[in-house]
Amino acid sequence: MTIRRPIQPSTSLVLGILSVLVLLGAYTGLAWRQERQNPDDTTIPRWGQLAKGFTSTVEVNRRSNDRWLVADSIASAKRLFSGLFFGVLGGLLIGLAMGCLTPVEACLSPPMSLLAKIPPTAALAVFFVLVGTGDGMYVAMIAIGILPALAVGVHLAVREFPDELLYKAYTLGASPLEIVWTVIFPQVLPKFIDAVRLSIGPAMVYLIAAEMVVGDVGFGYRIRLQSKLLNMSVVYPYLAVLAAFGFVMDYLLRQLQRRLCPWFEGGR
Amino acid sequence: MPDLSSHIELEVRDLSHWFGPKKVLFEVNLKIRRGQFLSLVGPSGCGKSTLLRAIVGTHLPRAGTVTVHRPGGKPELVIGPGRDRGIVYQRYSLFPFLTARENVALGLKLDQTSLPFRWLAWPKWRRLRREHLAQADAMLERVRLPDARHLFPQEMSGGMQQRVAIAQAMIMKPEIILLDEPFGALDEATREDLQSMLIGLYQENHHALGRGEHPPLTLIIVTHELNEALYVGDRIVGLSQYWDWRAEGHSGCPGATILYDREAPVFEVKNGRDFEKFTAQREEIRELVFESSPLRPRHRHVNYWPNA
Repeated sequence: MTIRRPIQPSTSLVLGILSVLVLLGAYTGLAWRQERQNPDDTTIPRWGQLAKGFTSTVEVNRRSNDRWLVADSIASAKRLFSGLFFGVLGGLLIGLAMGCLTPVEACLSPPMSLLAKIPPTAALAVFFVLVGTGDGMYVAMIAIGILPALAVGVHLAVREFPDELLYKAYTLGASPLEIVWTVIFPQVLPKFIDAVRLSIGPAMVYLIAAEMVVGDVGFGYRIRLQSKLLNMSVVYPYLAVLAAFGFVMDYLLRQLQRRLCPWFEGGR
Repeated sequence: MPDLSSHIELEVRDLSHWFGPKKVLFEVNLKIRRGQFLSLVGPSGCGKSTLLRAIVGTHLPRAGTVTVHRPGGKPELVIGPGRDRGIVYQRYSLFPFLTARENVALGLKLDQTSLPFRWLAWPKWRRLRREHLAQADAMLERVRLPDARHLFPQEMSGGMQQRVAIAQAMIMKPEIILLDEPFGALDEATREDLQSMLIGLYQENHHALGRGEHPPLTLIIVTHELNEALYVGDRIVGLSQYWDWRAEGHSGCPGATILYDREAPVFEVKNGRDFEKFTAQREEIRELVFESSPLRPRHRHVNYWPNA
């Protein structure tokens, strides 16, 4: 087979669907074998059990008087999007400042490199101490977790900006602020969106980890609780929702990139 | 009719430049008059691009000055890049995220509006934007690219990109446009096509003179191709490090300087390319500027102004 030989889009679609079907088929086989070995087992639930488990998450729960999936989704989404907002904004501004202003670059490069090496999940206790265990802690953890990588990504993208275009912008009458906003930012934007796409996964990891430790509502809290009870018929749908959320976010960001940066080769 | 012989557009005086111990340029003196198409040639590494950068203002010289003379205005010392000097590079000549017409209109946007204006006075900005784009379209027609207005740079050939880059510089009506080996990466046919386009622009200068107006375009083209230099320019300047610096008491070469400065034959597009017309001059430049021996006094062949 020739390396990188292009294939038809239809072939690509069929292969993608086939791989998902194989995965689902393998799970079905595994669940069927587990049921034959132990009919009371809940670690690998059958499709019917999964449907029942999922239904229980969207119905009003008698004890807590809420719909688990709805309450958890609202709580986790609020924390995740708040954290992403501050992390993405901070990463963009710090990255642009580092790329455009050499004193800022000299000041912030060492701390950014150090921060990027510390996994926020390992520094959970530090966040408890500094920000408490309220929603602010999740937001801070996500924002500080994704910010260094985003800032470094933007910084490198700005550094790659050719000097010739910078000089040309000056000869066209641009002020320094105009150069940042009108000339550098549009060129950096597609790479920045790629960096945001890559930061969604880590942001979800930080959130789930923190919710597992101190949450009283949210995806991490529910997954930890139901895992302890071996209610995998609830855990698996939650994982599926997380996967779907990640997929949709990635798709939307790719669409945004295509729309805002039609010139960008990676976006085509 | 404007008196061109006295109308200096740009003046480089005693310009010297060095990078640490490496001497690059030495006492370069150059006066360019309005409407002139000047070709700058010289051996590799002689500092042609350094001189161009000093004129653009992105890399100021260690010694000497560059002055821009505006018609009716005071002479202005170059202390940084400005909109009175346009530049076209060989690479990275266009902004990749803008279409051809947006690239051409970018200068008008940056020069005539500000961020607060575009954000706060949006209806006015929209009207102005339409005018800018119309001007950009007209400029694209002038460089013979009317159909490329909606293409991004990566969708255009190298030749088309350079045409757009020239239009982008021209729309600002700068005092002078500097072309830094603009056609160096293009194939022969495209080069010839773009050279003809420049000759066409030069003829526009003559038409303006015929109407008693100031010629609209003054240009310096840096090229390593002698045929191109002689075909496009009406004046040719040779910069070289191969001059007799020992005779002036230097212990080492203090840098490249101008060794050749003469008129070049003027061509018209309709007459084709009669390279025979400048064979003798080409050989003369090759010998005086590009050959490392024998070394000659630096002023012997710098006689454009007495001839002009």
